[in-house]
Amino acid sequence: MKCNAAIAYMHDYLDRELPPEQTKELQAHLADCPECRERLEALEKTDALIRSVPKPANAPDYMAYRIMKSLPKTRSPKTWTTWVRRHPAVSAAAMFLVVMVSSFVAMWNQSQQLTVRGADLEHVVIEGNKVIVPAGQKVAGDLTIENGVAEVLGDVQGNLTIIDGNVTLASTAHIAGKIKTIDRAVDWAWYKVTSWFDTIAYGS
Amino acid sequence: MKPIETRLARLARKGDQRAFAEIVDLYKDKLFHLAYRMMNNRQEAEDVVQESFLRVYKHLDRYDENQKFSTWIYRIATNLCIDRLRKRRPIYSLDAENSDHEGLDGYAMMPSDDRTPESELLLSETQRIIRDAIETLPAKYKSVMVLRYMQDMSLQEISEVLDMPVTTVKTRVHRGREFMRKKLENKL
Repeated sequence: MKCNAAIAYMHDYLDRELPPEQTKELQAHLADCPECRERLEALEKTDALIRSVPKPANAPDYMAYRIMKSLPKTRSPKTWTTWVRRHPAVSAAAMFLVVMVSSFVAMWNQSQQLTVRGADLEHVVIEGNKVIVPAGQKVAGDLTIENGVAEVLGDVQGNLTIIDGNVTLASTAHIAGKIKTIDRAVDWAWYKVTSWFDTIAYGS
Repeated sequence: MKPIETRLARLARKGDQRAFAEIVDLYKDKLFHLAYRMMNNRQEAEDVVQESFLRVYKHLDRYDENQKFSTWIYRIATNLCIDRLRKRRPIYSLDAENSDHEGLDGYAMMPSDDRTPESELLLSETQRIIRDAIETLPAKYKSVMVLRYMQDMSLQEISEVLDMPVTTVKTRVHRGREFMRKKLENKL
């Protein structure tokens, strides 16, 4: 055994944590290493000396009184931070909602541009902010128009959604799905949320 | 049934001042011993004790009842002591100690105004030397040594109070002990 290892064992020994087997090893090392014997003695002496330090006097009598007097008069009523700490899930949900709503509102204010979305836009004619489905044309799938006016003369074989705009249907128009007109922020946000979930669910 | 301190803490949390007064009674001497050994100064020890209880009172809501109350209160007091020690001392590490220049470290240059212990009567030179040696321990070793030797805590308990692994506590006890051996060897 090397002296370094022996010293580590000595400390464990003084901590009363040296297993019997290692204690024997240490004993064997000490038998033929006078330096380590001396070291152990010094450490044992140190240990005993530190333990010999008497307990200091108790806290002075006025301490308890002084402590009680220093306390704030009433324990402050539970602050909202405490509530937040205790309801992490609800807080996170609330936070999420705030962020979502504010980003919706921000996006709402930003997007004034005409946006047309759909699976089949080849049969759609765009003039300014007017989106026309010409007569006799078939638009396969859904059609979504933001910030624009829709004029449907032909067929839409899915849903027609108009956000912040309006729709004119000609007598020749035929829309297979639903027509939705959204022109308020709240509805719009709701539409965003549902379409976002749709995207997650169906990946479309 | 929950231990008495936990029940008192619960009452105090609801605003029962008498319950808190009982907590103070249970722990004021224990914390004072700890703070006195850490700070080596009666006035500072009193301040630490008072501040500890104030923190306990303010943060009762944060006390986790799965933990021993004593561990929690000792942690608060120990951290306060360590903070204060760090503020008043120059940065110093055990490794930097050089036995050739003993007495020429940061402490020798410290003004010895409020650091001098004034109230504990020292009956022997031996006691004075031991206490001086403890006083020169850097804060991180001192806290471990005081909890181990003066508060008779197990390594496990110390690791809970200081919120560090037992292996770290062990290393600090070992180094602290070696530090003390070097300090005491020549003088006693």
